[in-house]
Amino acid sequence: MTSGLNEPNLPDGRSGAQTLPDEPGPDVEAPETPERADSGEDKAHSLAGDALRDLLRSPVFLISAVIISVLIVMAVFPSLFTNKDPHFCDLQFSRQGPSGSAWFGYDLQGCDVYARTIYGARASILVGVCTTIFITIVGSLIGMIAGYHGGWIDSLLSRFTDIFFGIPLLLGGIIVLATFPSDVGTPAWQTIGKVVLALGVLGWTSVCRIMRSTVIQVKHADYVQAAKALGGGTRRILLRHVLPNAMAPAIVYATIILGVFIGVEATLSFLGIGLQEPVISWGIAISDAQTYIRQSPHMLLFPGAFLSVTVLAFIMLGDAVRDAFDPKLR
Amino acid sequence: MRVSARKSAVVGAAALALALSACGGDDGGDDGGGEASGGGGAITIRGCNPENPLIPGMTNETCGGDVLDQLFSRLVRYDSETAEPHNEIAESIESEDNINWTITVADGWTFHNGEPITAQSFVDAWNWNAYGPNGALNAYFFEPIEGYTEAQGEYDESGAYVEGSATAETMSGLEVVDESTFTVKLTEPSSSFPLRLGYTAFAPLPPSFFEDPEAFGEEPIGSGPFQFESWERNVEIKLSAYEDYQGETKPQIDEATFKIYENDDAAYNELQADQLDIVPQLPTSAVAGEAYKNDLGDRFIERETGVIQTMTFAPENVDPSLANPKLRQAISLAVDREAIVDNIFSGTREPATGWVAPVVEGFQPGACDGFCEYDPDRAKQLLDEAGGYSGTLTISYNGDADHKGWVDATCNSIQNALEIECQGKSEVDFATFRTKINNREMPGIFRTGWQMDYPSVENFLVPLYATNASANDGLYSNPEFDKAVAEAATLQGEEAIAKYNEAEAMLAADMPAVPLWYGKTIAGYSTNVDNVKITPFQTVDLLSVTTAG
Repeated sequence: MTSGLNEPNLPDGRSGAQTLPDEPGPDVEAPETPERADSGEDKAHSLAGDALRDLLRSPVFLISAVIISVLIVMAVFPSLFTNKDPHFCDLQFSRQGPSGSAWFGYDLQGCDVYARTIYGARASILVGVCTTIFITIVGSLIGMIAGYHGGWIDSLLSRFTDIFFGIPLLLGGIIVLATFPSDVGTPAWQTIGKVVLALGVLGWTSVCRIMRSTVIQVKHADYVQAAKALGGGTRRILLRHVLPNAMAPAIVYATIILGVFIGVEATLSFLGIGLQEPVISWGIAISDAQTYIRQSPHMLLFPGAFLSVTVLAFIMLGDAVRDAFDPKLR
Repeated sequence: MRVSARKSAVVGAAALALALSACGGDDGGDDGGGEASGGGGAITIRGCNPENPLIPGMTNETCGGDVLDQLFSRLVRYDSETAEPHNEIAESIESEDNINWTITVADGWTFHNGEPITAQSFVDAWNWNAYGPNGALNAYFFEPIEGYTEAQGEYDESGAYVEGSATAETMSGLEVVDESTFTVKLTEPSSSFPLRLGYTAFAPLPPSFFEDPEAFGEEPIGSGPFQFESWERNVEIKLSAYEDYQGETKPQIDEATFKIYENDDAAYNELQADQLDIVPQLPTSAVAGEAYKNDLGDRFIERETGVIQTMTFAPENVDPSLANPKLRQAISLAVDREAIVDNIFSGTREPATGWVAPVVEGFQPGACDGFCEYDPDRAKQLLDEAGGYSGTLTISYNGDADHKGWVDATCNSIQNALEIECQGKSEVDFATFRTKINNREMPGIFRTGWQMDYPSVENFLVPLYATNASANDGLYSNPEFDKAVAEAATLQGEEAIAKYNEAEAMLAADMPAVPLWYGKTIAGYSTNVDNVKITPFQTVDLLSVTTAG
C-alpha cells in the first residue's frame, strides 16, 4: 500500500533529482544542514525567538502568565495557600459570610469556601491541561499524517475527523459521561480521567484540521523537498522538518482551548455529570450554591470568580501567543 | 405504606395533579369555569416518577401512591384535617367480636367505566393482592385475614416467591354474602381493622383489571373522585374529575395534573412563576432565611405531617460490613440532628427520638433509648467496641428531590464524630432508587422516609420492621418484635398502644434504621388556586382545592 502511495510522488522526486547534479556541493554538506537549521538561533532570528521577545514585551501576556503561574502553584501545592482541610465541615458555621477566620465565608455544609476554592483549582487545571495535551497529540498526529501523505489517506482521515467535528463538544461530553457515570466509589483519578477522555475524544478535531493545513503548506517547502531528495525517511522528515515548522498554529489554538476546556469541565460538573464528589471542583461548588444565591451569594461568587479568572487568563495567554506567532502582525 | 420520596415526605411528590395548566402553556386558573362541579378549572401539582404500574396493590411509594389516592376510593376515607377515618364506600363496617367483620357497601358507587362497585369488587381485589404468585408489594396488609398464609405461600431469603408454595388462590376469611355485603374473618381479634381500610391497597378493582393487570397499570380504572386521563412518562400524569363520584365532598376542579420534576428547586421556580400551582413541600433553599415568605407572600401552609425520615442499613446479605448493632448505634449517635435541622432545614423539621411520628395516638418520645442524641464520645467508643469500620460509608438518596443537603451534612457529622469516610451517593430518580432497594442491590446506608398510610402507631412499625413486611428494606427480622406486634394487634386501646411502644423500644437495640427527623411541611401555592389544604399524610387535599377568581 505504501508503495502505491509513494509512486505518484516519485516523479516529483525525480524531477527534483534532475536539479541535484547542479548542486553537488550543498548535497555533500547536507548531513550537517539540518543541525544548523535547528541550532542556528544565535545567528538568524527564528520565529520562536522573535515571538518570545514580543511576548515578553506584551502586558497581556505578562498578566496572564502571572495569573496562570499562581494558579498552577495553587493546583500543585494548595497547602501553601491555606492550612485548612477542605473536607472538614462544621455545620455550626453553615452559610456564614466572609470573616477574619474564613476569608470567603462558609458554604451550606459549613466548609471553608476559601480552602475549597483553592483546592478546586487542581481538578480544573488538571482537566484543562490533560485534555489539551491529549487533543494536541492526537490531533497533531492525525493532521500531520493526513496532510503529509495526501491522497486517499487524507480523504479517509479528513472524513473521519468530520464525523467527530459534527458532534458538539458539550453535548458529546454529556452523552459520554451520562453513559459512563462515575459514582462515589470511583477513585478521583478515574473521575478526572473520564472527563478528560470525554472532552478529548471530541475536542481534537480542530487541532487536526489546523495541523493538516499547515503541514500541506510546509511539505512543499524547499527544505522538505531537499530532505526527501536525500532519501530521508518519512518519520525523520516529519519529526525533524515538518513538525517544528508546522507546530505554532496548533500550539496557539491549544492555549486558547485550554481555558475553554476548564469552562466546559465546570459546566459538566455543574450539571452533575462531570467531576463528582469527593473531588472538589468549582463547578460542583457553583451548582450547590446556586439555589442559595439570594441568601448567601458569597458561596457562589468566590468559586465563580476563580473560574472566570482562570478561563480568562488562558484565553488571554492564547491571544498573546497568537499575536506573537502571526507573521502578518509582525 | 408509602415509602416517601421527598425529603421528608413525600407527599409532595406526587402531587396532585391537576391541571392542565401547565403543560400546554395555559395556566390552570385561566380556564376556570368547568362544569363538572363547583368552580371548575384545572390545577397542577408537583409530582414525581412512580416506581411501579399504577396498581393499588403494587404501589408502596408515594410518587405513585399520591396519584392512586385520588384515583381510588376505599371503604374508608381519612379526614383531611385530623386523619380520623370515616366511611366512604362502606355503608357500615361492623363486628361483635373484632374477628368476624361484616362490611356493607353503599349503593350507587361505580368505577370510572360505569361498572358498579360491589362486594365482589373488594373480595376479588384483596384476594389478588394476597395471592403470592402475583407478587403484590402490598400483600402484607392482608396478613390479618384468615387464609392469607395459604394464599401467600413462601418467600425465599432474597424476597422472591417460591414457586408452587401458595396452596390456595383465595383467602378463606373472605366471603361474599350478597351484592353489597361481604364478611371478613381475621386470624386474631383486631379492633383497629377498619382503620386500615382507607389505605389504597384495600381499594376495589373492576373486572377488567383481572383480565390484564399490566395494561390496567398503564391506564387504571379507579373508583375515586378523579379519573385517569393520561400518563406521559417523566412528564406528567393527568387526572380529571369523575362526575359520578358519590362522596360527600365533590372535587371543585375539573382537572388535576401531577407534573414530574427532576428536582424541587425547578418545581419551586415554576411555582414562583405561576406555572405550577401547588408544591406540597418547599425545597430547603426556599425555606432558608424564610425566603419563601418574600416570594409567596401568604401563599404557604405549614403543618405537621405523619412522616418520619430515617436511614436504613442494607440487609446483612447485601452489605455485611454494617451488620453489627453497635456500629449502627455509633452511626446514629454521630448524627447531629439538631444542627442539621437548624441549618439545613431552617428549623422546619423536628429531630426524631424514635421510629413513630408524633402525629399519631400513642406516640412516645425517646423510644430511641438515647441513641438518637448527638454524642460523639459515646459514638466513638461504640465504634471501637464494634471493631471500627474501614472503607467509605455511603448514604444513597434519590437525586430528584431535595436530599443532597442533609445527606452531605449527615455524612460530615458522621465523618467528624467517628473519623470514618462517609459520602453521599445520588441515584437519578426515586423509581431507580427504590428499584435498587427492592432488588436488594443497594449497599451501605440509604435514606428511607415513611409517610403513614393510616393514622396508627402500628403503621409506623409493622410494615417497616416486621419480618418479610412489604417495606422492610433492611430485611430486619426479630422474632420478639414480631411476637410483640402480633400480640398488640389483638389488644385494644391503651393496651395495644403499650404493646406497640414496647415493640418500638426493641428497635433501639438492633437499630435496623436510624431515626432522623419528623415531618413538618411548608407547602406553597400559586395565585391560581385557593383553599389549598395539606393532609396529615402530606398530600394535597384535592377535594377542597378551588381555582382562584
